[in-house]
Amino acid sequence: MMESINIKDLITVGIFSVINIILIFTFGMLGYIPILMLGLPIIGALVWGIPFMLFLTRVNKFGMITLMGLIIGIVMFLSGHTWIPIIVYTITGLLSDIIIKTQNYSSIKTSIIGYAVFAVGLIGNMLPFFILRDYYISAMNASMGVEYVNFITPFLQYHFLIILVILTFIAGLISGYVGKLVLKKHFKKAGMA
Amino acid sequence: MFKIDNLSFSYNTNEKELKNNVENINLKIKKGEVVLLCGESGCGKTTTTRCLNGLIPYFFNGQRTGEAYLNGKKISEMPIYKLAENIGSVFQDPKTQFFNVDTTSEIIFGCENLSMPENELKKRLKTVVDEFKLYNLLDKSIFKISGGEKQKIACASVNAVYPDAFILDEPSSNLDSESSWNLRDILQKWKADGKTVVIAEHKLFFLEDVLDRVIFFKNGKIESEWNIDEFKKINHRKLGLRQLNLNNLKVYHNDYYSKNQEFFELKNFTFKYDKSPILDIKHVQIPKNEIIAIIGKNGAGKSTFAHCLCGLERSCKGELILDNKVLKRKERLKKSYMVMQDVNHQLFAESVIDEVLLSMDDENEELAEDILKNLNLIHLRDVHPMALSGGEKQRVAIASAIASKKEILVFDEPTSGLDLKNMMDVSKNLIYLQKLGITSFIITHDYELILETCTHIIHFDNGLIIDNYKIDEEKLKKFFIK
Amino acid sequence: MMEELNTKLTNKSGFHMDPRTKIFILIILSFMVFNDAPLYISGILILIPFTSLFLSNHKKMATSYILLYLIATYLKIYVNPSLTGPSSMISASFTYTITRMLPVIIMGTYTVITTKVSEFVASMEEINVPKYIIIPLSVIFRYLPTIYEEIKSIRNAMRMRGIGLNFKTLKTPLKLVEFYMIPILISAVKTSDELSAASLTRGLSNPQRRTHLEIVNFSKTDAIFIIFAILGVVMYAYYFIGDILLV
Repeated sequence: MMESINIKDLITVGIFSVINIILIFTFGMLGYIPILMLGLPIIGALVWGIPFMLFLTRVNKFGMITLMGLIIGIVMFLSGHTWIPIIVYTITGLLSDIIIKTQNYSSIKTSIIGYAVFAVGLIGNMLPFFILRDYYISAMNASMGVEYVNFITPFLQYHFLIILVILTFIAGLISGYVGKLVLKKHFKKAGMA
Repeated sequence: MFKIDNLSFSYNTNEKELKNNVENINLKIKKGEVVLLCGESGCGKTTTTRCLNGLIPYFFNGQRTGEAYLNGKKISEMPIYKLAENIGSVFQDPKTQFFNVDTTSEIIFGCENLSMPENELKKRLKTVVDEFKLYNLLDKSIFKISGGEKQKIACASVNAVYPDAFILDEPSSNLDSESSWNLRDILQKWKADGKTVVIAEHKLFFLEDVLDRVIFFKNGKIESEWNIDEFKKINHRKLGLRQLNLNNLKVYHNDYYSKNQEFFELKNFTFKYDKSPILDIKHVQIPKNEIIAIIGKNGAGKSTFAHCLCGLERSCKGELILDNKVLKRKERLKKSYMVMQDVNHQLFAESVIDEVLLSMDDENEELAEDILKNLNLIHLRDVHPMALSGGEKQRVAIASAIASKKEILVFDEPTSGLDLKNMMDVSKNLIYLQKLGITSFIITHDYELILETCTHIIHFDNGLIIDNYKIDEEKLKKFFIK
Repeated sequence: MMEELNTKLTNKSGFHMDPRTKIFILIILSFMVFNDAPLYISGILILIPFTSLFLSNHKKMATSYILLYLIATYLKIYVNPSLTGPSSMISASFTYTITRMLPVIIMGTYTVITTKVSEFVASMEEINVPKYIIIPLSVIFRYLPTIYEEIKSIRNAMRMRGIGLNFKTLKTPLKLVEFYMIPILISAVKTSDELSAASLTRGLSNPQRRTHLEIVNFSKTDAIFIIFAILGVVMYAYYFIGDILLV
């Protein structure tokens, strides 16, 4: 029984996108500390869990999660994060939609996995910075010697990105689980979920 | 115009606990009539408005039997955007009914949705701006205008569609008295234009000259029906209704509550925003342990004063002198507490008892239960605060203030949108707090509440205290009654 | 009064750029992130956000942007190569972030602060962007300021109850997140419902194409900026393709 997305759904998507955006911008401030910058997707994945799980209680149609990804991506684009996040968020949103739809938006397990996939989209914010890596490398070339750089470059290029994806995914699983708990603790009792 | 035929509706779709929110409603509303739907909270008047503007069944799911008709056509079978051409709806909270960020777009929003051509949009905007005298409100951010102005824009924007009927659901809840009178003028204009108006309200004082007919709801059913002349004569209090004519009200507490009156002083409460002062109090004396009403127009500085008093504004360097002790900002933050208008913002725990315990320095469950008993909350001990009604939430906030041994309480519009019974409860709680030795400040536009409860008045205008007096009916009337 | 209204409706005083132009430039500027070019190549693209801000009376921001950019470029060319150790890393990350990211960030800021929501929506509708995208985006613009107010009010409530960063809460940091999140989410759900109901009664679900009061038209300004943006990106592309050809 799949109806098409209506006005109420679109407004729901808008409202929950705002919450995610506020959270990522607030915690994004931590990114000014250089080392934490690369960890931002992990932090983001940790804080998005609660709102996402509440969002899911209002989702019963395919496409709403994809749309939220796209919308968050567009806001990132408008705020100067380039168009890369649009692509990344839409893809992770779509995957998440597909995963959660397999159990008709009702299973806890697929919700958590689906959320973790969605959270990986946060890497989209980082990708432009990641593409900057050649500069870090050339800077290090000058200061630390070619041998060291040759040793560390592959790390920076592929492995690190993969590690980051995995860590963000794990953070997403944890946060999704916590989100479910909070949902039970507060919103179910308050009669809202 | 409207006909409701044996309509019942329940928001609850769970068959086991099926309780109808409205039951067997039969109602006919003629074209050009102005009809009031009244009754206690939860009596079914809002639900009835939703059946008329199509939100039931398009937005609220539930179990429905019977039918509502617009000009002979079934409302449930018309698409809701078609209904939008014929019916203009205004809601309680202007904060959440605006879709646009600037006023001009909001005024014309409905017409844009109905795909009117561009020159028609311009023509209508001009007409509406003229009729509602909105020249100064055009092209403003909706975040920079007052609640009264927002409600005016809301009325103008539904008017721009030129519907035949208007449906208003508690439109005056967040308005000061002057804005309520302005709302009356708008209703009168609609009436003169021959529009049909259905209005669900608790506050009645501004409606006396507009109404044709009154429908009284009780427990989801229509209990009585009067024309306006009959309605003027009945005893409103007995039915749990607010006063229709404020002149009938009398001051209840003519003297201060405390016998040996002490005062505290406020010194140098000033606050600037963008270099222009919005609060400027050099020195003032206020009676201690009383219930003090803070009155004034929207934007007069009342809520800034409340924030400064509670120590929430860092740049306000004012001092409060209490029992010969000078309290600076940080000490005031410890001794005072504000019960906010949106009380949802100040409840954090997962049960009522936890909420009270959270406020205690040393958690003492016995004491917490005692406080709950006195505020008639003990039966809700383990319920989640967000599952409570508005009045109950407010009591939980009060309970947590008592638990953290606050001496000064500030209430921001504690009775906005409340019916008589809930207002009287608020009044009772305030008097209970007085007996505990707490001084309460109440920012309010509610004349009825002031007469019922308060003993001292502080009147703000333009950031200044322009009057500071023991309760005086004549003075109050001048401000509240037009 | 009527005349005033008339001018308000028809005349937009001063410098004005169509939202679609702004977005086009944002897309173009995004390419700068991928590669580094000398100043004489990327100069045009760097100057676009500056000019836009300057002409629309945000002179202070425009000037600080261009100064910051020049300082970073100076550091990159003359100072970075001579630095060693950790300071080189910090300086490198600073200068590269600024020289590549700042133009697009500033252009984004310019877009957000100078575009009226109604104008943005009208121009998106003009190029047939579907409702699915326009409605959630409008909700975001509408709700962002509200949510900031709410966060402030929740923080005030917490201060009055002595909840905040102290020993009691540091023991359970998750509690603090909960305290913020629960009231915000509850009001979000409420807002979402009330806003939906209100918009439905105002005919937002009408399947017909919406019309709009705000007239959006490409002007000479837009043409000039678009030409410069294209010129900039062509030079940029030529520089790199040329580079590759030489190798």
